[in-house]
Amino acid sequence: MKKRLLIANRSEIAIRIIRSAHKLGMLAVVFQSDKEPDALYLKYADEIIPARDGGNEKNIFLDPERIVNLALEHNVDLIHPGYGFLSENPDFAQLCVDNGINFIGPSPELIRDMGLKTVAKSMAIQAGLPLVPGSDGAIKDADAAKAYADKIGYPVILKASAGGGGRGMRIVEKAETIERNFKSASDEALAAFGNGDMFIEKYLQNPKHLEFQIMGDKHGNVVHLGERECSLQRKHQKILEEAPSASVTPEMRKEMGDMAVRFAKAIGYYSAGTIEFIMDEDGSYFFMEMNTRIQVEHPVTEMITGVDLVDWQIRVALGEELTIKQEDIKINGWAIECRVNTEDPQNRFAPQTGFIDKIHFPKKDYIRIETGVQSGSVVTPYFDSMISKIIVHGKDRADVITKTLAALYEFSLVGLKTTVPFCRTVLQHPDFVDASYTTRWVDSVFTPEMLENEEDEMIGALAATIMYASEYLQLSSDLPAYKQDNLNVWILNKRLTY
Amino acid sequence: MGTSYIYKRDASRLFIALRENGKRYKIYIPKESQPVIDGEEKDIDFVEQEDFHYTFDWNGKRFHCELVSRDQNKAVVKVNGVEYKFSLESLFSYIRHGMIDKDGKQIDENNIVSPMPGKIVDIFLSEGDLVNEGEPILSLEAMKMQNEISASCNGVIRKIRVQQGQSVMKDELLVEIQSIDV
Repeated sequence: MKKRLLIANRSEIAIRIIRSAHKLGMLAVVFQSDKEPDALYLKYADEIIPARDGGNEKNIFLDPERIVNLALEHNVDLIHPGYGFLSENPDFAQLCVDNGINFIGPSPELIRDMGLKTVAKSMAIQAGLPLVPGSDGAIKDADAAKAYADKIGYPVILKASAGGGGRGMRIVEKAETIERNFKSASDEALAAFGNGDMFIEKYLQNPKHLEFQIMGDKHGNVVHLGERECSLQRKHQKILEEAPSASVTPEMRKEMGDMAVRFAKAIGYYSAGTIEFIMDEDGSYFFMEMNTRIQVEHPVTEMITGVDLVDWQIRVALGEELTIKQEDIKINGWAIECRVNTEDPQNRFAPQTGFIDKIHFPKKDYIRIETGVQSGSVVTPYFDSMISKIIVHGKDRADVITKTLAALYEFSLVGLKTTVPFCRTVLQHPDFVDASYTTRWVDSVFTPEMLENEEDEMIGALAATIMYASEYLQLSSDLPAYKQDNLNVWILNKRLTY
Repeated sequence: MGTSYIYKRDASRLFIALRENGKRYKIYIPKESQPVIDGEEKDIDFVEQEDFHYTFDWNGKRFHCELVSRDQNKAVVKVNGVEYKFSLESLFSYIRHGMIDKDGKQIDENNIVSPMPGKIVDIFLSEGDLVNEGEPILSLEAMKMQNEISASCNGVIRKIRVQQGQSVMKDELLVEIQSIDV
């Protein structure tokens, strides 16, 4: 009997997982949320479970008990959590395990450990991974903070131990201001969290975000599949990713990759995982955290390694042993992923909701499209603004930049604004072309005017004129018969030839 | 009738699209050939047309245009996903608003005066017509020779001061032209 795999997720990633489930001969089961009852992914599934999560109900993808209860009712063998939602929720993973459902991911214990920053960091230290220099725990007072900062060098960042959301946080550029900043941050933390404890870390001014993809099985085998660079972020969310990274040399790749594998083995990790590093301008790098799920940007790694990560997640969950060996993994060419979010890059990436009247994707054998929508779909305010991903493979970095740009020019969407023009701007910017861009690029370099260009402006003027003229020419004529004799002749001629 | 001239007679087909940043496009939309933008015929093709959505092809590139909003003569157009706002004027409203040739001297320079005494044999254009630089406006006979008198700029014929068969003196004002080259 075919195994039944439930996807506790939606949109493009649900479709992506369904593809792997079918490849492995399984039946794909999905939830139909009342918040988007006509979603595209439903068409690809073998079985649909109505979630009845309308009205004020919590959406199904965030409701562990209901997911597991419905999974049991529908005789589900495995659950794939996708990314986001409950994918890194240890209680959900545990609930699956407790109910005899195979959770596709690492063990609940490891999800929990990696989710606790302090635990993850101490495990990383044990495995010999470099961490951003900083105080181990709370620092006693302003004098101690100054002494510590003098030792590790400025700028430093002061963070409230109990903090979050930027409160109780200060970036200190020089020794003269550390005392004042320490006091105000500590007071702020005390007022906000009832705890004035502060710790101190070196502050990286222009860091790059690098991450290593690893894959492990339940038999102790772990491989890494190289890095991705995800420095291009807005509001701390990635928007364009590439693999490999131009800032990682083959020697560094080996060193960091070995480190990632060593760490994963040390903690007994299995399934797909990502080890994130932050890299300073001088090339020094530090462990940030580990993600215990499949990532949005996993296709760039698949494009350059030829390894199907979702297939392997499922096979590992079933207890299969990894057949890929580290020495067999070769990096072939270069890949870029552009996220298509319904957001307005001309207006601080404000989300856009509504109808997608028409969407058109580029089609080429080196282009991979992952989409959760089609023409006629609705973008609701209930879920994430990412609707699709355009992933392009090239023989080298220059080649993939050219191909991606052409692909983005072929893409079109009528109805809503997207991040595609932003990605086009990025791909043409010298900071991206020479690969010097950092996580601060959007805040420090990008301006909405950079989205405009003279060709588009001129054609826009023409389009506006045609729309205006077709009315004007009709109005300015008092002969009714003149209605036919307007500029549509030019338009019609052109239409007939195409 | 010089068919090689880009502006045909109909001045009501000339528009000015003005952006907030001061950028201005002079756009002539002929009945049957390519559009003329800032005096240059552009090889722009229509690929697709729906009510408020056009796709053009130019220099091998696609341009997806979508009308986002429209308020009287103001329009916001999305081109390849980026919005541009224009205010649109017909040539006549543009001239009326005094946006072309505020400088009276410049107008005089474009007016046509008779280079020699003679007789007007023929007038090719009418008031209100668009005329191209170098395009003949009228024919003047002097010393048994017919001379074509041409426009010195691209413009619109504001006033024709003479009639066919009329004799004129040297330096007599023949035609007033409003330049559209700015």
